Amino acid sequence: MSYGSIIKVPFGPQHPALKEPGNFLFEVDGEIVVDVKPRIGYNHRGVEKAFELRTYIQNIYLAERICGICSDAHTTCYTQAIEELLGVEAPPRARYIRVIIAELERIHSHALWVGIAAHEIGFDTLFMYVWRDRETVLDMFEMISGNRIHYAMNTIGGVRRDIHADMVSKIKKGLDLLEKRLKYYLNVVQTEQTILKRAVGVGILKPKDAVDLCAVGPTLRASGIKNDVRVDDPYAAYDEIAFNVITHDGCDVLSRILVRCEEMLESIKIIRYGLDSMPEGIIRVQVPMKVPQGEVVSRVEAPRGELIHYAKSNGTTKPERYKVRSPTLGNIPALCKMLLGGYVADIPIVLAGIDPCFACMDRMAFVDVKKNKEWVWTMQQLRRKYAKK
Amino acid sequence: MGLDYAAVEKEVCKKMTAETIVSMIRILVFPGALFLFTLAFFYEWVDRKFFARLQNRYGPLHTGPHGILQPIADFFKLLSKEDITPHASDKLVFILAPIFYFALPLTTLFVIPILSQTSLISFEGDLIFVIFAFTLIIITVFLAGWSSINRFSTIGSMRAAVQMLGYEIPMGLVMVGPAIAAGSLSISRIVEWQSLNFWLILLQPLGFAVFTVCLLAELQFVPFDIPEAETEIVAGWRTEFSGRKLALLRLGRDLELVLASALITSLYLGGSQQFWLIPPIVIFLVKTTFAVMLLSLLRAVFARFRIDQMLSGMWKYLLPLAALQIILIQLGLGG
Amino acid sequence: MAFVKEALKQLFRRPATLKYPYEKLTLPRDFRGRPIWDMEKCIGCGLCFDVCPSGAIKMIGKGLEAEIKHYVDRCMFCGQCAETCPKNAITMSEEYELAGFDRSKMLYEYKRDT
Repeated sequence: MSYGSIIKVPFGPQHPALKEPGNFLFEVDGEIVVDVKPRIGYNHRGVEKAFELRTYIQNIYLAERICGICSDAHTTCYTQAIEELLGVEAPPRARYIRVIIAELERIHSHALWVGIAAHEIGFDTLFMYVWRDRETVLDMFEMISGNRIHYAMNTIGGVRRDIHADMVSKIKKGLDLLEKRLKYYLNVVQTEQTILKRAVGVGILKPKDAVDLCAVGPTLRASGIKNDVRVDDPYAAYDEIAFNVITHDGCDVLSRILVRCEEMLESIKIIRYGLDSMPEGIIRVQVPMKVPQGEVVSRVEAPRGELIHYAKSNGTTKPERYKVRSPTLGNIPALCKMLLGGYVADIPIVLAGIDPCFACMDRMAFVDVKKNKEWVWTMQQLRRKYAKK
Repeated sequence: MGLDYAAVEKEVCKKMTAETIVSMIRILVFPGALFLFTLAFFYEWVDRKFFARLQNRYGPLHTGPHGILQPIADFFKLLSKEDITPHASDKLVFILAPIFYFALPLTTLFVIPILSQTSLISFEGDLIFVIFAFTLIIITVFLAGWSSINRFSTIGSMRAAVQMLGYEIPMGLVMVGPAIAAGSLSISRIVEWQSLNFWLILLQPLGFAVFTVCLLAELQFVPFDIPEAETEIVAGWRTEFSGRKLALLRLGRDLELVLASALITSLYLGGSQQFWLIPPIVIFLVKTTFAVMLLSLLRAVFARFRIDQMLSGMWKYLLPLAALQIILIQLGLGG
Repeated sequence: MAFVKEALKQLFRRPATLKYPYEKLTLPRDFRGRPIWDMEKCIGCGLCFDVCPSGAIKMIGKGLEAEIKHYVDRCMFCGQCAETCPKNAITMSEEYELAGFDRSKMLYEYKRDT
């Protein structure tokens, strides 16, 4: 349907389909989207600047709070970077525990996403069921680390808590239940007609576009491209664990659902293997407060995709510069491509399809396009502008 | 010996006053407005509770035993809230729309037999009136959304109107089925016919299925909650309504639910008929509760369609099925 | 249709939600709730104050005369203070219902009884 004239429809920053503030300006011809202009930055929190004001130990907890859902991925990335600067390595048992926590987090993050996706297409019952079963993972986290969301498991030079033998049996029991439920949901999304109607052929992202636009994580793998930091650049104990990288070549929302569902099942396998072959030994090594001079880049496969942290140290107890590139930022250009040519009614599910996390993503820099200049603010300037009187 | 005109007049007046009072009570209290309000709140509770249990939740819990008073509490809470009329809205329509939306299903419910086999108001052709009322409700919805001059409301009201084009014709067609079987266009007669013969769900199962699907669309339940799709267009056509107006809209929706379940009951499940010693009203309540549960079960197990999918589905599948049902009746099956 | 069966099955299950203020989850052994200082053991070294990422701990005075102020509204229950404490004077308790309307009431003071 074309009505000849193009209407501009703003979407967000306050909108029920987006759980966090982000703005998209759509140009709509009838029911078809012809242009998208994303505008991000509503949730800028000055995290990178805050990194420079805190000691390395304090920064672990700051890194954890970049994102609530992938809190472990951020701390793994952070501690890895600092460990590399210090020239220490986490003990083998700690590396296995990191893998187990990371995979449990992947299950909890993907399950959360499947629920949200079901909610976006109006399937609230599936949403409730998935979130109910996700509680199993959260309970495991509470048992292992003492908290449901911010586990605070990683520390520089290892992990803070051990996984005891009595926990192992409980985790395994929970995993059996989860595996049964996840297989059922995988079946539901493949057979339920109303879901298929909303997901097949929606939000197409061709493999070439996906690579050109630097898509990451499940979004990229749903376009049939095998890319996973866990395999390409193994960290923690991933080099000792065999697992499959799940890809689907449907390039649509259904493939994204399937990739995430199957990744959850794969994660269960990894956790089982990890629990069985965890070596005995210490879980952390002592590290000095001061970090030697240097620069480092660290990569981790967060549930949403490739996460990059950059740290620069000047030999004191605080980093000189810290930079976080969260996976959502990498997926934004690809998202705009997916939305083009789609229906207005499909916007929420396509948007949700990349599992956006705007709070992780928002960074600030000043760019003057005309003069081709770029600069950043100091903490004092930021304070002057935004701090409460 | 002349007639005592004064006495006769007095007698007639007395009789008329008594009759008026009785019919006033019947319309206003039982089984009229007050009873229907109570029923509306009760069915909202049944719907919420059953829907919650299907999702493995508790649902309303704290107001009254098992939360049964929650819908009433919600209603009074909304009455006390600030009532905002947007500056740019078409004020007259914006104020009138909730009143119409609430009055239409209430009026329509009077033609449905509840207390006995004859309804409060019964005339030949009241089935046509019901079909007409359903259309009027959607037109009210359209006006309500359109008058609030909100982007989401406008999209919602457009979708409501387009959706109506989809389900109205199959629904109208299928509602004629019971009328053909009973040989009358009056709902009371259809109920009467069913008490003498079979329930029409046994004779016209196809018609029952099509009718239920159409009612889901009429009630804007999942999978047809397209006009108020939360994640797409906020609250759709009712985005701008607040306070008393929203309270009326919600009561209107509840009355629509009562109307829908009462229609399923009357047209296909035998309506309010005496069974052994149980009075018809109890039978009616049991059957309508079942119908409400059926509707909430259906809204629990689907995802929302897109508007184009809904329209093509209605025209491609539901309309031929409805037509098939009518042809079957004409061939002597199911009538 | 398989989903209808699944949905109907739920009618015979206990709802998964808890009636929260009336029913509570049992907490695991090492739950991280409000940290509690044992002033008998505290030597006033100030490490907890130094290490706290959110500035929830204030120390008044020095050494064995030090008093601790814990602003629970700023605390994020990471447990780093308990981990750092050289004398194990800090334990993470099981208290978690700490929300309130008044920030000034969300202050826990630990003094030495002399």
